[in-house]
Amino acid sequence: MVRGKPQALGEGGAGVSALIGEPRRSPNVKIFLFSFVLLSLLGVLTLAAVREVVTSPANSRTAHPTLAPPRPPLTPAEEAYALALWPIHNEVKASALKMTLGGLAYKLGELDRGGLKSKVDASSETYRRAAMRIAALTPPASLAQVHEMYVDAVRLYQRSAAEMVRVGGDGRDEHLVVAQPLSMEASEKLLMVGDVLWPTEYRPN
Amino acid sequence: MRRRFWFLMGLAVLAAAVGAVGALTAPAPAQGPVYSVWLVESSRFMGVPFGAFMPDRAFVPGSDSKTNNINTVDLPVNVGVIKGGKEVILYDSGWKQQDYFKMTGTQHWAALPDQLKLLGINAADVTKIVIGHGHWDHAGQLMDFPNAILYVQREELRGIEWALNYPHPRIAAVNTSPGGCARTPACGYPPKTLDEIYGKVLSGKAVIVDGEMEIGPGLKIHPAFRAHTAGSQLLEAPTTIGKLMFGSDAYSSWEGIRDWMIANPQQTDTVQQFLAYEKCYKVTGGYQNCVAAHEPLSYTDKYPLTKNSWVGPNGSRMAEISLAPGEKSRKP
Repeated sequence: MVRGKPQALGEGGAGVSALIGEPRRSPNVKIFLFSFVLLSLLGVLTLAAVREVVTSPANSRTAHPTLAPPRPPLTPAEEAYALALWPIHNEVKASALKMTLGGLAYKLGELDRGGLKSKVDASSETYRRAAMRIAALTPPASLAQVHEMYVDAVRLYQRSAAEMVRVGGDGRDEHLVVAQPLSMEASEKLLMVGDVLWPTEYRPN
Repeated sequence: MRRRFWFLMGLAVLAAAVGAVGALTAPAPAQGPVYSVWLVESSRFMGVPFGAFMPDRAFVPGSDSKTNNINTVDLPVNVGVIKGGKEVILYDSGWKQQDYFKMTGTQHWAALPDQLKLLGINAADVTKIVIGHGHWDHAGQLMDFPNAILYVQREELRGIEWALNYPHPRIAAVNTSPGGCARTPACGYPPKTLDEIYGKVLSGKAVIVDGEMEIGPGLKIHPAFRAHTAGSQLLEAPTTIGKLMFGSDAYSSWEGIRDWMIANPQQTDTVQQFLAYEKCYKVTGGYQNCVAAHEPLSYTDKYPLTKNSWVGPNGSRMAEISLAPGEKSRKP
């Protein structure tokens, strides 16, 4: 091999030697640069894609949880009681909502004392009638506790209403503050009863 | 020389194209203060017929269409947790499951205060609660946050009152058949939920909102009346990933927002629901940052906003959506 001395290609396998011997042509800088940029961009894209994929989402499709066992159905006697109480419950519920909305409207200055009294009196009348109708029902033994709970709820609503109308007398909002927990307790009892008698009363909203 | 020129021009065009694509796809970071945001699953309604949730997605037996080949879905009840400065704001507040309120088919309920603890937040730290609407599964647990100011639209309260006082028994009905209220105008408001709202008003811890309202720097309530209920409201929140828009049940389904389908029609004017979707597109720049209340794909990578998720108490799920500068990750 002779360095520095140009030799024709093909002469005794001097191809490489010829290259070594010849002054180096400058590498194709444009191609190199372009390839470098392209590879860099591809690298960034790959990295971004990998980062997107590598997460650990809580998979909602993992083992489907076992649903709670279905409740045993109401007996015919229980069902009859639930059906009989249902229309009374509708009225009690609507009146409870109206009474609370009355208190809200009064507190927000949208109702005067007279208006509040009218609304509460109307609800009180519903509770009075409901109490009479409930007293006339004969629950099966298995629902005696549920029945008592509903009676309690209506009594609590009546007490709440009695406290609220006192605002009409002395104008003191403190009566509303005293009345509200009574109403809240009554509302909880309605839910407890509802869970036994009408478990699908509230669907996803 | 000319070849070199065109080569360099080509490189410049390529770089510009890559930059433009990047700018277009990434939501613009919000200007001004930004908040940390998490999403927590209050509970999950299991096995809900898809068609009951989204009529356009009703199951068609034997269908090959991806739109109609799913029979039932599990619906989370999502609550937004927004934190910035001294403020901790909840968007919606889930509901409180007691022994007596174990809705058939509902699972993975966890008390919101317990879930917040995992985010380093105590119940007493919550400063504001914005309820997207007053239905029982979105406006519960209010009494568990004694220091929080409740924000509810006046129109929501008016809507309930209107329905109850309407002189037609079917429209005024709080229930229809035994076992359900079948989407009557007054459906979905048990007395207890209204009592809790009333309690907040009585204790001076409520703001009755009339339409639009800014409740903190960059935090804006947008009315979405009749997009789900009479007084539905959205909440805009700026974050490092762009503006988010919380929608409660006006945004029941994220796929619905993406594909322009109605979802969870209750006391819904579907035109208003679509306009609420449009609001999200306009404010956030697309559908990606719309926060849905019941999206079945929540907490998976198929709902990208919520994919950074983990499992919390009782199998409830939580997701870290965005962190403000200096906020540490709460993901275990």
